[in-house]
Amino acid sequence: MNEDVDMKDGADLDDGAGLDAQGAAAIMQEAGERARRELRVSHPVIFIAGGVAWLLGYGAIWFSVRGQHPYQGPAPEAAVIQVVLVGFAVAIAASIISRATSGVGGLSAIQRRVSILAFASGIVAVLVLEAAIDHAGASRSVVFGVYQAAAPVLVTGVVYAVNSAVRLNWTLLGLGLWLIAVASGGAFAGPVGVWAVTALAGGLGYLLMAVLGPALDRRQ
Amino acid sequence: MSEDELDPVIHAPARLRIVVTLAALPDGDNLSFTRLQDLIGLTPGNLITHLRKLDDAGYVRMEKSGSGVNGMTSVSLTREGRSALDRYSSVLRDLLDQAVRLAAVTPLGRPSASRCIVSL
Repeated sequence: MNEDVDMKDGADLDDGAGLDAQGAAAIMQEAGERARRELRVSHPVIFIAGGVAWLLGYGAIWFSVRGQHPYQGPAPEAAVIQVVLVGFAVAIAASIISRATSGVGGLSAIQRRVSILAFASGIVAVLVLEAAIDHAGASRSVVFGVYQAAAPVLVTGVVYAVNSAVRLNWTLLGLGLWLIAVASGGAFAGPVGVWAVTALAGGLGYLLMAVLGPALDRRQ
Repeated sequence: MSEDELDPVIHAPARLRIVVTLAALPDGDNLSFTRLQDLIGLTPGNLITHLRKLDDAGYVRMEKSGSGVNGMTSVSLTREGRSALDRYSSVLRDLLDQAVRLAAVTPLGRPSASRCIVSL
């Protein structure tokens, strides 16, 4: 997009004559509110999309593994449902973030790129490690149960928690710490139970933050 | 205290909007000219005129990158600009305080001044 500035025109330069204190205060309030509304990323919608994707995606996998004796792992259809739902949530988040940050450059843009790189690297590392654990002869219940369910949740939680330090965002910190607790605690629920724990505790954590987030952000 | 004490570089509706909008960005961030224009609602010519005035005072920094079709101008508030806005807000708050005090002793005072102080 060509954003080169046309330096012509601009003859009707206004000045402060006639602008009283109350008028100036009203302009400051209106312009400040508009800028905050338009330039800040709205987390509630992102968290609702994430919560629904987690609840239904992990829920679908739990549904496919419940009652397996011996444990075999998620059904391919359930994995596809999870991937589609997570993809849908990511698309919603990307759309909201790109609308709010359109035209915004500098430090925040660099921080966003580094966060995406860190998250993508973490997820790739989870998959590589999964292959390594499988290759080392671990049982299916460990590789395709406990590890496959808990490891991506742990990575997501750590990335959120680290990002919260950069952005000083308490909502993100709360969700990050909650996901770390869900991943590490949920792993004790076994290869079947861990999917149910991550579906319920992870999904509800997102939805809770969608409700509590705006109040926490206002207190910052 | 009078309105003459308000910084004349900022005390104009369009420039006040520009400075307040840029102040909503975190330190180290900038805004493209087109997005700023979209948020402020001025013609490109008027916006650049106001930006030049703010630039001359050292309150904003304009940077051009690329050229031709890929050319882009980004605008950011400088540290001086942020300090100037803080001083402007402080003077404005004092003026509105003064207006509230006057309203308390004058029957024809403007009660909306107290609401403006709260919003600042």
